[in-house]
Amino acid sequence: MANLRPILLVEDSPKDLELTLAALAKCQLANDIHIARDGEEAIDYLYATGKHEGRTEGDPAVVLLDLKLPKIDGLEVLERVKRDPNLRHIPIVMLTSSRKEQDLVRSYELGVNAFVVKPVEFTKFFKAIEDLGVFWAILNEPPPRAR
Amino acid sequence: MTTMSETDLESCAREPIHSPGAIQPHGALLVLDLKDLTVVQASENAATLLGTPIHPGTKVGGEAVQLMADMRSWLDTEEDFYQQVVTINGQGLYAVAHRSDAAFILELELLPAGEKRSVERLFPRLKGFTEKLSAAPDIKALSASMAQHVRDLTGFDRVLVYRFDGEWNGHVIGEDGNGVLPSYLDLRFPAADIPAQARQLYKLNRLRIIPDVDYVPVGVEPAEHPITAKPLDMSFALLRSVSPIHLEYMRNMGTAASMSVSIIVDGELWGLVSCHSREPHHVSLTVRDVCDLGVQAFATEIAARGRSAEAAIRVQLASISARLLSRMTAAADWKIGLIAEEHDLLAQVNADGAAVISEDFAQSVGSVLALGDVRAIVDWLEGHGETDLFVSENLAAAIPGAERFAEAASGVLAVRISELYPSWLLWFRQEVVRTVEWGGDPHKVVREEGRIHPRRSFEAWKEQVRQHATPWSRAEIAAAHDLRAAIIGIVLRRAEELARLTVELQRSNKELEAFSYSISHDLRAPFRHVVGYSELLRERERTLDDTSRHYLTCIIDSAIAAGRLVDDLLNFSHVGRAVIGARNVDMKKLVTEVQQSLLLQTQNRAFVWNIENLPPAWGDQTLLRQVWFNLLENAVKYTRPRAEAIITVSSKVGDGETLYSVRDNGVGFNMRYVDKIFGVFQRLQRAEDFEGTGIGLALARRIIERHGGRIWAESEVDKGSNFSFALPMQETGGTDG
Repeated sequence: MANLRPILLVEDSPKDLELTLAALAKCQLANDIHIARDGEEAIDYLYATGKHEGRTEGDPAVVLLDLKLPKIDGLEVLERVKRDPNLRHIPIVMLTSSRKEQDLVRSYELGVNAFVVKPVEFTKFFKAIEDLGVFWAILNEPPPRAR
Repeated sequence: MTTMSETDLESCAREPIHSPGAIQPHGALLVLDLKDLTVVQASENAATLLGTPIHPGTKVGGEAVQLMADMRSWLDTEEDFYQQVVTINGQGLYAVAHRSDAAFILELELLPAGEKRSVERLFPRLKGFTEKLSAAPDIKALSASMAQHVRDLTGFDRVLVYRFDGEWNGHVIGEDGNGVLPSYLDLRFPAADIPAQARQLYKLNRLRIIPDVDYVPVGVEPAEHPITAKPLDMSFALLRSVSPIHLEYMRNMGTAASMSVSIIVDGELWGLVSCHSREPHHVSLTVRDVCDLGVQAFATEIAARGRSAEAAIRVQLASISARLLSRMTAAADWKIGLIAEEHDLLAQVNADGAAVISEDFAQSVGSVLALGDVRAIVDWLEGHGETDLFVSENLAAAIPGAERFAEAASGVLAVRISELYPSWLLWFRQEVVRTVEWGGDPHKVVREEGRIHPRRSFEAWKEQVRQHATPWSRAEIAAAHDLRAAIIGIVLRRAEELARLTVELQRSNKELEAFSYSISHDLRAPFRHVVGYSELLRERERTLDDTSRHYLTCIIDSAIAAGRLVDDLLNFSHVGRAVIGARNVDMKKLVTEVQQSLLLQTQNRAFVWNIENLPPAWGDQTLLRQVWFNLLENAVKYTRPRAEAIITVSSKVGDGETLYSVRDNGVGFNMRYVDKIFGVFQRLQRAEDFEGTGIGLALARRIIERHGGRIWAESEVDKGSNFSFALPMQETGGTDG
């Protein structure tokens, strides 16, 4: 469990961000949590470019990715990650309010690892985040590093 | 129906009546070369009549020299006919000439003995007749007047005005006579009496006379026209010898002299003025010409009256047509708009019944004809490649099997009202059984030695005509045609409107999609935030008093309820557009799963679940699960006041469908509100008693209806409810689930 990799949370809504962080805090994960506020920033983080140029920590253990994002939306971020042989091993969990079927279908087509519709009940949301955090950040062993 | 065979008809039609090679003896005929007036052909009696020898290849001499000079100057004009009274060899003669091939035919007809030549005394009579024409109230009166006038001029024993029907049978509609010959008024004569080639000749040459039926024909020599190498064409000759069959016909009729004048209306042979005498009787060319003028005036009057009658009908039909069109365009379905206007629809063509038939529509009005029979007619029309308009007044003769419904529909006027589909508008006329009086049995044809002889009996012979309707008039057929064009126009315009609406609908559907997306994302989020922050607050402030904690709980519950409402609404609108992914669904399994998912709500309560064996259904598993969930959740919810809730799930296989039912012993509802229960936001219970968004049953109904099924409820207050739905069985076998 040494060198715990960080969790990348991509969320534009400040309230959802705060609530998700509160939920993650309750899991008492040791992982660092990095935040990107739009799709562009998420891409910069993953490629260590722009604002995140020269960052030293490795690939995130999991990306919690909101679907609807400014600049580059969640589906496009997902598509770019899963198309890149160097990044496609990073688990991506879509977090969204949308129950729109085509979003779901499209996400699975693009190779999403999990898809969570944010429930209205906070307790359910809390449980969902907790499960996701524990599974992807702790239990899930990443494939051997390619680089 | 005549019993003449095809061969008989052919031999009859082949008789070359326009080139008999002979003339009647009341004159002489010469065929002269156009260039040098030398004789080409001549009747055998020409030399005797002119008092000078006639030889082919030479000019005519003697007293005819002056006439020949006259001929020369006529030929230099453009005039078609030459006519003059001359005196040659001490006899008054009509000299009449017309061009024929490279020659011209000169006929010399004897002036009848004792007839005054003066035309002046004929004119006042003609004038009197033409003035009377416009005053005659109807065609019958006109015809009577015509017959009287011709008899007055010619002195024949009997004059008939004879009108052809659509099948060329003749009908005597006017008569004048001196009693010597029997009356034929109102009798009909079969078409075979005047064969087609004779009718054709009558159109070209309007007047012919046979002064004596027992005449001895005079041959024309040489028999073949030297220039054309054919027998001489005498279509326009006055003296043309007639067919022996015709002479036999006259003798059988008891007449020795006859004359007939064609009545030509709008270029077609409308009828004849037919004159007969028992004894030989001749009428001068002058009198015949005046007769012809009178008949032409008569024909003009008939044509004018026909046109004005037709114009009046057209005006009347046009106003009916306009009314029909306005109703059709106003109706949602033009076919219903049309058929609803029974009176106008029938009046449009004076029909007794009408029907509109297309692939998905069949309705009739007026006289009762089974729709199956109408379909049979339409099938026949389609099978015979009719694409526009079909008219019959004797349907039984046209369509095999149509005699079955001849009483209701002997007359049919049908228009195809779609370019693409077998859609028809049909009008019907009932059978009109008529008694027709024939001048002799028209079915009796006398055959001797392989040749047809005209019938010998002219005794009136009565026949009942069946399976015939009143014929459709030209104006009515035109009205049907116009209505067809208008309908096709309406249908086309509707199709365009529909295409435009579809585009609009697609656009508004897209907008709706975007709208529901934004609701799903943006409206849901605030509720989630309210719940989230409230939960955080509750956990953080452990010292809150009971009232504050109650307030927090209420905030959370309300926000959760609002969030669910959004979810349910989205679900509901989603089902309306969702594609039904039909497959075999194990309903028993589905119900058991749903029952399990309700465990949280059923704990701490006593339940008796009777889940019977349920046959599989054909449908969308996810959507059907939703239906079961909504029905079972309701059953669980509304049995809450019961010490022991009893919920029974059962099924029944019906006619082409399977019924599923959920029965509970809950609070039930008043059947007075049964219509409301499946509506969106319709609640029959107070919210504080039973929670819910008021969408569950509306959603269930929408899902069942999308499956082509139906859903209903029975209940009694405090006794429980029974909700049932029926799903159609899969028509073709095969399972993939």
